Amino acid sequence: MNTQEKVTINKLTTGVPGLDEIVGGGLPEYSFNIIAGAPGSGKTTLAHQFVFANATPERPALYFTVLGESAIKMLRYQQQYTFFDSAKLPGSIRFINLSQVVLEKDLGAVLDEITKEVEKANPAVVVVDSFRTMVRKPQSEMDLQSFIQRLALFLASWQATTFLIGEYAEDELRDNPIFTVADGLFWLRQTTERNSIVRKLQVMKLRGQDSVPGLHTFRITDAGVQAFSRTFGLTARKRNPPSGRRLSFGVPELDKMLDGGVPEGDSVLVAGSSGTGKSVLATQFIAEGIRHGEPGIVAVFEERPEAYAERATNLGLDLETPQKNGKLTILYLRPLDLSVDETMQSILDAVQKIGAKRLVIDSLAGFEMALSPGFRADFRESIYRMIFALTGIGVTILSTVEVDESFTEFPFSTYSISFLCDDIIRLRYVSLEGQLRKIMVVIKMRGGNHAKDIREYEITSQGVVILGKRLTNYQSLISGIPVYAYRTEPKEEPSQNPENGNKS
Amino acid sequence: MRDLAHRLLTYEDAAGKTSEPVEASTLRVYEKLRHGLGEFVGIAGFQLLASRALTLARPDIPSLSAVRITEDGSLQGLGAIENQFDIEKDQANEGGIILIARLLGLLRLFLGEALTLSLLRNTWPGEALDDRNSGNGRTA
Repeated sequence: MNTQEKVTINKLTTGVPGLDEIVGGGLPEYSFNIIAGAPGSGKTTLAHQFVFANATPERPALYFTVLGESAIKMLRYQQQYTFFDSAKLPGSIRFINLSQVVLEKDLGAVLDEITKEVEKANPAVVVVDSFRTMVRKPQSEMDLQSFIQRLALFLASWQATTFLIGEYAEDELRDNPIFTVADGLFWLRQTTERNSIVRKLQVMKLRGQDSVPGLHTFRITDAGVQAFSRTFGLTARKRNPPSGRRLSFGVPELDKMLDGGVPEGDSVLVAGSSGTGKSVLATQFIAEGIRHGEPGIVAVFEERPEAYAERATNLGLDLETPQKNGKLTILYLRPLDLSVDETMQSILDAVQKIGAKRLVIDSLAGFEMALSPGFRADFRESIYRMIFALTGIGVTILSTVEVDESFTEFPFSTYSISFLCDDIIRLRYVSLEGQLRKIMVVIKMRGGNHAKDIREYEITSQGVVILGKRLTNYQSLISGIPVYAYRTEPKEEPSQNPENGNKS
Repeated sequence: MRDLAHRLLTYEDAAGKTSEPVEASTLRVYEKLRHGLGEFVGIAGFQLLASRALTLARPDIPSLSAVRITEDGSLQGLGAIENQFDIEKDQANEGGIILIARLLGLLRLFLGEALTLSLLRNTWPGEALDDRNSGNGRTA
């Protein structure tokens, strides 16, 4: 069979931001799905969002309520969500209560009732909530399996996309015959970690199309459920080939050390202890991009955007105008109780909104601290996913990270994330001639040559300014306690020529 | 809600025959509500709502003490009020208006005005629900 003969499965929007990406573009039309999870995990809200997104007067949704939450209370609460459109009731969405049938009769009668209503309404969407309460009545397994099979067959034949909602514990999902019938199985869970609620969603099964595997963070706000794909919705995008372009830092001597600048699409880590000028360098990087017409995003965690922009003004850099012109967004992210994926989604949304070419994360330590404790374990993995996704579409990322100053070691990062970065610039204090001065060195450039020089720099009203030539009269500079070893100036100064430098 | 209840009863009154008993329009409105709401709240759910509405209406219309809500949510005993007191048609209607108003009031309380009206629109045409004058009416 060639591809032309394959049936096309329409994909219906889930109505849940982020979930379409997770399920591979939308939910397969006519699929028979189960939403499982503990009470309060958002099952009903998710189903409502699907219903409101897809129900029309011509192809309405039938929402069968069984035992459990009363329909009036359910509607009372659900209408608080912004997706709830009361004008759709009851023309496009009908709520039908089956509790009497369930209490007084058997599953066969329930099936008859559903059949009768479906044949009458010709719905596009059918929801049974809560399906679990219906089957808790003493029934033989065969009865239940038969009921589910007949229901699935009937609803698919009537071209309805179906959701059964049920409260299930995780261990009940294994070897349960009910789940073998389902085309899609969505598992929602919520756990408490320290003082934070962590909500995760997993597509355990989805016939007919690829979904993004793994656990995805989701949140319930006044807009309903919002899911955050582990891949941030960027996996489907074609990765841009390296442009070969070099991006200037706005610090000419540093650009020379980097063999012309940062390769576009690289992830750069600027590491150093407090006061070494990491944020200054980051600000110069973003301002230089804007000067070249490259929109930028700065994600700050330790100071407010106004303070960040004001500090840039003191360096002679105007960040106010580009913010007004839509060329720069300074995100202040102190969510505390947000997930790492959710925080990153905010960054991604901003990047996509203004078409940012440069992104500064200032700093990784602040980022981690802004997360709720339960999500910190995922921090490194999430950073990796975000960097991979963004650099893949050509965004150049500069992250700052604070490292403890040591006089016996020369650490690049306390996060063990240097492997995530293409380029590393290390800033540090050094004791020279009775002064605490600063030196800079390019540790790594994955994309090519870089100078191996150790250069002294200062933070002035012009920002980071690299002084003179490389420091040739000292040994053990990177220890922070160098030893003076006078030597004459070399005849040729190789320091600015990366051709003579390291090749990573 | 009183105005809305009055409009619904007036609408059903006009749709009925003049020879019908006074309580007929109240019963028609009530039955339509029972059918429409019972679908999504269930029989038991409607029965409880109606019982609560009746309880709330009785202090205003003591004669409603003769009325009761059956297990399936039906209204019984409304006709007896008219026979018992032999009162004018408008006065007999008052009990129906208050009862329906209380029922609609409960719906508004739980579901909000927009959703309540959406549900009613499925049962009655727009003109029966016309609320142009509702702001001037008394609240039941």
